[in-house]
Amino acid sequence: MPEKLEARVRRSNNLAMIHFSGDVTTFAEDVVQNAYREAIRDGGRNVAIDFSACEYINSAGIAAIIGVVTEARRQGRRMLVFGLSPHYQKIFRMVGLADYVEMCTTEAEAVQRVKPPEA
Amino acid sequence: MADDVKRSIEIHIPSELGYEKVAMEAAGAAAKRMGFSADRIQNLKTAVAEACLNAIEHGNKLDVSTEVGIVLTIQPASLQVNVTDEGKQPFPDRPIQPGRPEDHRGWGMFLIQNLMDEVQVSAEPDGGNQVRMVIHLDK
Repeated sequence: MPEKLEARVRRSNNLAMIHFSGDVTTFAEDVVQNAYREAIRDGGRNVAIDFSACEYINSAGIAAIIGVVTEARRQGRRMLVFGLSPHYQKIFRMVGLADYVEMCTTEAEAVQRVKPPEA
Repeated sequence: MADDVKRSIEIHIPSELGYEKVAMEAAGAAAKRMGFSADRIQNLKTAVAEACLNAIEHGNKLDVSTEVGIVLTIQPASLQVNVTDEGKQPFPDRPIQPGRPEDHRGWGMFLIQNLMDEVQVSAEPDGGNQVRMVIHLDK
């Protein structure tokens, strides 16, 4: 019954992007962890997560996200998220996640935020 | 609908992760019919899903021979949702500290308490756990 979570990772010079699609639940823990590992494989400092194709995120999914956010913080990485519905933006603020990740509305905003200053 | 009539909907779901979505969709449909705003419906759906998850995972310990009961009671100005398990074990009672990402377990009850207008957790005489939640129309 749960819609299986799938992850696609794209890496560019200064931003690794994780695109999730499906439900972020108990069953998502390994997918979330593996996607994060893939995103940082080349040592990138900035990671953005796209939730625009995730309709259902529950407390177990939030715990999985908090797990990688905690790891990213420990490693000194910058985490950004975008594509969350207004409801899940509220939930992220409620559980304190918004204090540790940069909440963006769109992919373009996330890209812009990590864009290196022009010489 | 006549204002003084109480209506109720009863659902039983297996103690299997994923079936909480059936209960949350039913609660969402009832709330929509009652005229709740989209934002409040989302709050309700998340709270119902989390109460069912607690019941499935903790109350019934994922035992597929058990069920979770959900009763939606439609009142003139509010919707009450009772979620009951078979009490294989009591709910965990551990405070959550928002803003500490390392403290990431047990968010379900925290979300329920922050999204609903009234919440009561009780032990049933037969040993089950019950979460009673109310959301008011006038907020």
